[in-house]
Amino acid sequence: MAYSDKVVDHYNNPRNVGSLSKEDPNVGTGLVGAPECGDVMKLQMKINPDTKIIEEAKFKTFGCGSAIASSSLATEWVKGRTVEEALSIKNTDIVRELSLPPVKIHCSVLAEDAIKAAIGDWKKKHGVEVPVAEKASH
Amino acid sequence: MGAPSTAKPKQRDYFEMFDMPRKLWIETSAFEKKFLELSWKLHPDKFVNASAEKQELSLKLSSELNDAYRVLRDPVARIEYLLGIEGMRKEGEQRQQAPPELLEEVFELNESLDELRDTKVSGGDLISLKARLETAEKNFQEKLSKVDTQLQETAHLWDAAIDASANDTDRKGIMARLNELLNRRSYIRNLVTNVQKELL
Repeated sequence: MAYSDKVVDHYNNPRNVGSLSKEDPNVGTGLVGAPECGDVMKLQMKINPDTKIIEEAKFKTFGCGSAIASSSLATEWVKGRTVEEALSIKNTDIVRELSLPPVKIHCSVLAEDAIKAAIGDWKKKHGVEVPVAEKASH
Repeated sequence: MGAPSTAKPKQRDYFEMFDMPRKLWIETSAFEKKFLELSWKLHPDKFVNASAEKQELSLKLSSELNDAYRVLRDPVARIEYLLGIEGMRKEGEQRQQAPPELLEEVFELNESLDELRDTKVSGGDLISLKARLETAEKNFQEKLSKVDTQLQETAHLWDAAIDASANDTDRKGIMARLNELLNRRSYIRNLVTNVQKELL
């Protein structure tokens, strides 16, 4: 199966690889996994407590090319956006942007979950009521 | 009995096809014998002179039987299948949430594997690298056999629950545990494969 050019690009030049301090109160960390394929994805974001804007985003993913590309794209998309805007990113947006084939859709689901988990973690640190995590649509 | 006789067979699950209860321990020799018996009964060669309809049915049932055999023969696939028909493991649909500690652990193990890879790329000390990779492989293999043992133990619990006609709550509890172990297994299986790739 051939990867789309965009996947290959993100795979070869992943954006924002790395990590932020978990202890930083302004950093939210999302660690999610897909047991079907054994992939694990960590996504972190630094959020400005006043503006609620995501100022920094980092990821590290152990998995296939599509999982890496999905998380790389996710960090690009959340940067500069507000928390609410980031929460509105759907896995289907990622599928479309990267032209993921049906067997790789779970990679985009993982990325959406990671965004939600990271923001959930940040909200928890700030004592914000966390709504029950919405299930990503497939 | 002329084998594929039921004109409109309702979808039978694999356990039913083998006339077995939904239990996880299988007596291999009886299972193999049953497979041969059924294969022979349904074999398309026996229906060369039968109606086209029967021929087609024989082909369909034979192929189903082979699928069933492949799944039930493998202890891990058997558990996965059982959870599937019990509605406890919906691939894709209902995401499998792994416990955070497991994800942390898998992430860390992957990171250490990554470090070893970097050493390889940067042309570090290859002999000590190989030794470290081998240690890592051994470590992952041990974890894998530990999970397999736990799966086996939990499978016994399941069988005992079936024998005792345990209630729904108890059954669900055991299935949840099996599910968790299967998830853990697939992460560890991945680590083993990845470290073996590095050792090639």
